[in-house]
Amino acid sequence: MNQELKKKINSSFPSAKISLPNESRVVIEVNRDAIISVLSFLKNMGYEHLSMVSCVDWIKEDEFELIYFLNAYMENDEEYGEIEKSTILLKTMISRKEAKYITAIGIFASAEPYEREIHELFGIYFEGHPRLTHLLLERDYEIPPFRKDFDTRKYVKEFYEEIPFVEDREEGKE
Amino acid sequence: MRELELYFGPQHLGMVGNFSITLNVEGDRIIKAASNPGYLHRGFEKLMEYRTWIQNFTLVCRINVIEPDSMELMYSMAVEDLAGIEVPERAEYIRSIYLELARIGSHLFGLWAYANMLGFDTVANWAMYHRDLILDLFEEITGARVYHMYIWPGGVRRDFPKGLKGRIVKTLHKIGSGVPDYDDTFFNSRLFYDRAKNVGTVTRKQALEMGAVGQVLRATGMKYDIRKIEPYAAYDKVDWAIPTREDGDAYSRIWVVRDEMIESVHMIFKLLDDMPDGSVYNRIPNPFKWKVPAGETYVRCESSRGELGLYMASNGGDKPYRVHFNTPSYSHGLTILEEVLKGESIADVGNIMMSLYIVAPEIDR
Repeated sequence: MNQELKKKINSSFPSAKISLPNESRVVIEVNRDAIISVLSFLKNMGYEHLSMVSCVDWIKEDEFELIYFLNAYMENDEEYGEIEKSTILLKTMISRKEAKYITAIGIFASAEPYEREIHELFGIYFEGHPRLTHLLLERDYEIPPFRKDFDTRKYVKEFYEEIPFVEDREEGKE
Repeated sequence: MRELELYFGPQHLGMVGNFSITLNVEGDRIIKAASNPGYLHRGFEKLMEYRTWIQNFTLVCRINVIEPDSMELMYSMAVEDLAGIEVPERAEYIRSIYLELARIGSHLFGLWAYANMLGFDTVANWAMYHRDLILDLFEEITGARVYHMYIWPGGVRRDFPKGLKGRIVKTLHKIGSGVPDYDDTFFNSRLFYDRAKNVGTVTRKQALEMGAVGQVLRATGMKYDIRKIEPYAAYDKVDWAIPTREDGDAYSRIWVVRDEMIESVHMIFKLLDDMPDGSVYNRIPNPFKWKVPAGETYVRCESSRGELGLYMASNGGDKPYRVHFNTPSYSHGLTILEEVLKGESIADVGNIMMSLYIVAPEIDR
């Protein structure tokens, strides 16, 4: 099943690197320009459930990795086929210096909140997204907090140590 | 009529959980809804990058307060996959039994919230009492009532205590004996039908477009369940069925939940009978010096709310490099809720939200 998929993708997108880590996972690495066309290709192949969009900050390589997780819904309501078993991890690398990408909402409506989250936590701008407003955070950080150069412990120390402890005030230390 | 903006939650009486929705209303009708999460954001995924592989167990279970167990399972499965650890057969059975108990407990909690929302206080109190009986079992198995930290890479922390099988059966019979009462007072009641039928309908087309999973999808007739599609633990060892409904409305979703609880009880009886003897735990390396090989993995399971996934990347260190949970409430609460609320009345917001089974901490993480 996955071998066939590999052949099909290879014939349409010769530059894609495909690996099969186990029988139910397919990892496809493509160039940053190809994601949208590969996504719509896979959707036509039956992988119509975008279950997650994730991002990893590879700071040493100076790159962000965007990962689209695709699954297939059942073809009929009763029987299980082979296609639902596999999860596709579609990956691409984008430069940290130019953290910009194109939205996938046109193909998968469920990408909307995931792209908002990545925009907020990693600072990647998705062109064409209709609503890149704040989702989870209430403060505006200089460095988006999920990037690896944002040090949570340092931030907590700086942020909270300015507020005096109750015990200190009672003892007249201030 | 004049259009007004209404802030629904997090302090609103009709809101369960730390979540808010901004509604644009015209009279009683909702024109536009915008979910507004973030009241519980604690940055767990970032914190996990600062803690060792084992320390993270106390964090993962706090992602879903109501059913922490499938989160533990996800994390364990991902670490096992990366480090190449095998799980003994008895531990697989114990995991399945434990997860099904958690599913019943979680559904009873969901039923409490939903019945409470509609004003069925008696049913809500029964559900809470029956959930408490399950928490008693958890206390005996793991030592804790809500956050158990019981599933561990390589198996489970300890074997079932002596005589537990009899006590599980007794408790489940006690809960099961309440089913006729539940049915008479709630599920077959005309009031429930009138409040929930054709309310908050998610059609099949909408469900597929917006990434629905779990009961929301099963209430439209599709038997989509990861326990069958990609079996983990001991779910492929026994025979069980997936309950579905056709209409996709709040009424169908709650009926799916009810049928699932009964199916889970039967599954636990079968698993208890088939359970093999043996060890429950394969030793892992010293947790203080444990370095998991570099790599990445994606695992998924069926939590009580739907498909739950976890992406984990390791760079060969003693801490995870990246952890990202794919939670069912995310698409249900952010994409589907906004769409489904359009055209409904203000009085049904809580009704629809609880029937979609949204837990705010799963969205915020």
